[in-house]
Amino acid sequence: MGAVETGQSRSHARAGKKHKKKRRLAIRIDMTPMVDVAFLLLTFFMLTTYFSKPQTMELNLPPDDKATVEVAESNLLTLRVSASNEIFWNMGTEPLQKIDLQRLRPFLLERNKNNPKLITLVKIDREGTYTMMVDMIDELNVAEITRFSLAPMTDGDKKLMDKARAA
Amino acid sequence: MPKIKKSRIAIKIDMTPMVDVAFLLLTFFMLTTQFRPTEEVEIDLPLSHSEIKLPESDVMILTISKDGRIFLNLGSQNLKTRLFGEEFKNRASVEVEQKNLADLLIQARILNPKLRTVVKGDKIAPYGAVEDVMDVLQKTKITRFNLVTDLEKS
Repeated sequence: MGAVETGQSRSHARAGKKHKKKRRLAIRIDMTPMVDVAFLLLTFFMLTTYFSKPQTMELNLPPDDKATVEVAESNLLTLRVSASNEIFWNMGTEPLQKIDLQRLRPFLLERNKNNPKLITLVKIDREGTYTMMVDMIDELNVAEITRFSLAPMTDGDKKLMDKARAA
Repeated sequence: MPKIKKSRIAIKIDMTPMVDVAFLLLTFFMLTTQFRPTEEVEIDLPLSHSEIKLPESDVMILTISKDGRIFLNLGSQNLKTRLFGEEFKNRASVEVEQKNLADLLIQARILNPKLRTVVKGDKIAPYGAVEDVMDVLQKTKITRFNLVTDLEKS
């Protein structure tokens, strides 16, 4: 296999000449182990390397939480996520309705189309999981709703959700 | 009965080009490789459709583990030494208390104003912990930050 030969042919060609020259020794190096190691390293680097950098989602918070925005109730869509990852929605002060995460995207798109001035408020229970927050923000981003805010969930919200569950 | 044996022809394949290519690839991978940064805790990232890439340098990563603990990774060794002391120089990230977080964030940003903040939370981290971290970020005037996610395929 990978072997290097040097000097052999040359020394043969010149052997017959009168000119007295030192005979070069034919050096034969067996390259096989080196090539083996090279392939081993190659495999190692190919398997350990990773090209994809993690994806990120950008989030902007309002500069300070004292700023209040007056929103007409009819323009306010509230999404509440309970500790058990159920999603409830309501407009203004209407009663809450449950919705699946899978159906959220078409729902948001439709709502946003019907009312471009829609403001979305997301309230997530502190006991809920982080993945729900990312999912909600992601759904809002996909639905191109850029005006949404995150608000802490109050006991009142929890009672509303209990009511909706009982109904 | 003696069989008539075909004389085998000695096959000699010149492997040199293949070995050349192998070495080329080896060099390439050795130079471009970046090892997965070690983590103090294992984080299972949530999925999203966002495709913004995480910047390579000047990032400060706030990790929120499954059980709601907060880890701060400042990126450069220099910053780590100056903020946490010599013994934390080679640690990937340092666990911080929530009450100290605001001060640390401010100090880190004084030392390196270019720092971008990235929040890396586990899928099942309690939202409460994330909410607290976001409150701290808001109070320290870091109103623009990124959330690390994995790409959702759909």
